[in-house]
Amino acid sequence: MTFRLRPSARPIALALALVALSGLVGGCSAMHVQPWDRDLLARDAMKINPSLIESGADDHIYFSKEGSTGGHGVGGGGCGCN
Amino acid sequence: MQLDAAAPRGQLRRRLGAAACALLAAGLPSAARAEATGDWQLDGSLLLYGERDRASVFEPVARISRLFDNGHRLSGEFAYDAISGASPTGALPSGQVQTTTTPSGNTVTIAAGAVPTVLFRDDRYAADLEWQAPLARTARATITGHFSSEKDYLSRGGSASIALDMFQRLLTVTAGAGVNADEVMPVGGTRVGLGDGTQMLATGTNPKDVTSGMLGVTRVITRRWLVGLTGSFESERGYLTEPYKVVSLVDPVTQEVSGQLTEKRPDTRERKSLQVSSVYHLSEDILYLSYRAYRDDWRVESSTGDVRYRFELADGRYLLPHVRYYAQHAASFYVAGLVAGEPLPAYASADYRLGPLRTATLGLTYGFHAGSLPGTVSLRGEYMRQWLANPSGGDGEGGDDARAGGVQLAGTATAAALTSVSGTPPLHIATLLAGYSVNF
Amino acid sequence: MDGTAGHGAGNETLPPAPITLTRGEDFWCGRFRAMGGPCEVLVDTDDRAEAAGLVACAEEEARRVEAKFSRYRAGNILHRIQHAMGAPVEVDEETANVLDYAALTHEMSGGRFDITSGVLRRVWTFDGGDRVPDDAAVHATLALVGWEKATWRRPVLTLSAGMEIDLGGIGKEYAVDRAGALLAARTECSVLVNFGGDLWAPGPRHGDRPWGVGIDDPERTGEAVLDRVELTRGGLATSGDARRFVRWQGKRLGHILDPRTGWPVEGAPRAVTVVAGTCLEAGTLSTLAILEGAGAEEFLRAQGVVYRIHS
Repeated sequence: MTFRLRPSARPIALALALVALSGLVGGCSAMHVQPWDRDLLARDAMKINPSLIESGADDHIYFSKEGSTGGHGVGGGGCGCN
Repeated sequence: MQLDAAAPRGQLRRRLGAAACALLAAGLPSAARAEATGDWQLDGSLLLYGERDRASVFEPVARISRLFDNGHRLSGEFAYDAISGASPTGALPSGQVQTTTTPSGNTVTIAAGAVPTVLFRDDRYAADLEWQAPLARTARATITGHFSSEKDYLSRGGSASIALDMFQRLLTVTAGAGVNADEVMPVGGTRVGLGDGTQMLATGTNPKDVTSGMLGVTRVITRRWLVGLTGSFESERGYLTEPYKVVSLVDPVTQEVSGQLTEKRPDTRERKSLQVSSVYHLSEDILYLSYRAYRDDWRVESSTGDVRYRFELADGRYLLPHVRYYAQHAASFYVAGLVAGEPLPAYASADYRLGPLRTATLGLTYGFHAGSLPGTVSLRGEYMRQWLANPSGGDGEGGDDARAGGVQLAGTATAAALTSVSGTPPLHIATLLAGYSVNF
Repeated sequence: MDGTAGHGAGNETLPPAPITLTRGEDFWCGRFRAMGGPCEVLVDTDDRAEAAGLVACAEEEARRVEAKFSRYRAGNILHRIQHAMGAPVEVDEETANVLDYAALTHEMSGGRFDITSGVLRRVWTFDGGDRVPDDAAVHATLALVGWEKATWRRPVLTLSAGMEIDLGGIGKEYAVDRAGALLAARTECSVLVNFGGDLWAPGPRHGDRPWGVGIDDPERTGEAVLDRVELTRGGLATSGDARRFVRWQGKRLGHILDPRTGWPVEGAPRAVTVVAGTCLEAGTLSTLAILEGAGAEEFLRAQGVVYRIHS
């Protein structure tokens, strides 16, 4: 199976980014979540990266085994991973 | 007749309403157990990683964090990892070649012999410090420092970032920048790239400097739904080659491996990535989705899709299956091998991690409270499979030539057999991650 | 918490009373006994398993709040406070929040709402008879009443020896709101939490229909409903003398005592029902209304709440 990124996936990536952006920037009054409705959001698991342990291990594994980096943070260190 | 909580009119009533809300809001959160309320946070983990017939890793990590009365938070993370096993050198397998001489021509099959590997072991120690301070009621600054050391690599770096909350914390913007001053000290000295391995560079220590920046936004969309968008870039300068990897030379006549050269990569690399994430809370469970697009100026491009689902069980236990798929386009200078006798390209690497790589991951985490112990234990088992996409996988789009599958044979040789040899058979990886988190 | 746990201040834990789950017309109703009275949780769903889970959650929270703030349990924070003999007591986060609320309510009501007034029950017996204490007894007990005599500097509470804290006017309503909030976080279905007549609902039933609530007739307890209201969302609480009162000089005196005089309020309505955003708010307002005596109606009108007065 050959994966084609440039022709087909870039528009998808762009579309997803636009959807996220419109949600991010858009009309806050229409989508306002009142303080007393923040019960679910208060859960520890309601985070983009809910587990420091798992994301730490994943970052290290995929940095060593794949050609890409980045995505959610900055800093950290390199290693001479074979 | 219908009664509804009427809009407050009396002053006493308003104050009472606010006081009642404050009392209820300040109470224990609605999770099964009290979540983070203490000043100290401890996270410990042990990663056991094993590749079939290749390398294995043992990595314990401990992280401790303290929240002070003035709102500052200091964290320290200490990791040790021991890696040992076999690592592919990038050379092509050169087993017995079956040659059949017939009047119509040669049919060549390169035996799928063992992929050349080299045994190694290394220990790495790493320490990270992080200090977070509130700047205003809705802003935080974070400063980090990193240090790690292993036999042939030294890493030092730091970063600073600022996070701003807006619209009553429904929108958070984070911006950060980081620098790293690393050093690569290959064992036995630094060999000249695309050479026969006997010539050394004068210096034994090679610097590698990295500058990075990121900009991220997280937004609460509804009571159940949170999305995030993060863009980051990285600029690397210095020694970026893998010091022990080689590229095979293939004789165009015999189509046998006739020698090898050390690999060579450019001394700069600019990377960019964009990641979009979504966290959605169903009635009890949570669905996590994320997609990351990446490209750099080595022409490596990748897409990563990640789906996790947290099944909430009773008593604060959970089951979290996980699926991840990664697809990468090869670097411009990635080759399976070089044709002997042809002029050398500027850069070449047969490291499969720069090739048309695919990684599929399947995992399951089980989280639970350990009896009378406070805190949560998590156990994660994952299976990963890595393979290289078949370069002649029949797109038939000759136009994209070297990009089709990303494997190219530099030079004019037409050894078709070589293009179908990926150099590394599928890699099977299994990991076990045990973690313990406690807040007190 | 009014009522007794049946075992006085014993330290042993009673086996939990059973929860019964019955089907209403198109909802599930879970019942259990807690805080000295009947409790029920109505869940607007067809799913029995979900209803059972929600009722169990509410029951657990009711027991937790009761165990923590009941006068009748040894070893809880209230017990430590009552037996401190004038020594300072450091309280936890939740208790501190409750005390803050009580302090605020005391100040806002001009001293009518006072959690230290519980000691007055020692001299009063509300059994429907005509015994009233003599002035000397009331006067002596009043010396131990008065939130201003306590020192509350969060998180440390210091009462003078002999003073007591009684969270009877806050505890049950707080438990209703807490249980309700926990359930509302766990489910999309509407629920109605009813602990002995103090209610809260997060929203209407499916199809936007309200919950139907009957207000008990104090004269014919359990037999007749005085009034029927439809609750869409919010809390509802009733204060009154439905079951406890004394007759004196031809007047009926309810059991709610004015901490400034040590006597029941005169001219108060028999029962006051208030609807507000939370059960706690509703309960506090209904108690304050009773303490206004004859001025109850005017007070409630001035606050702009929805109410019912039963004389």
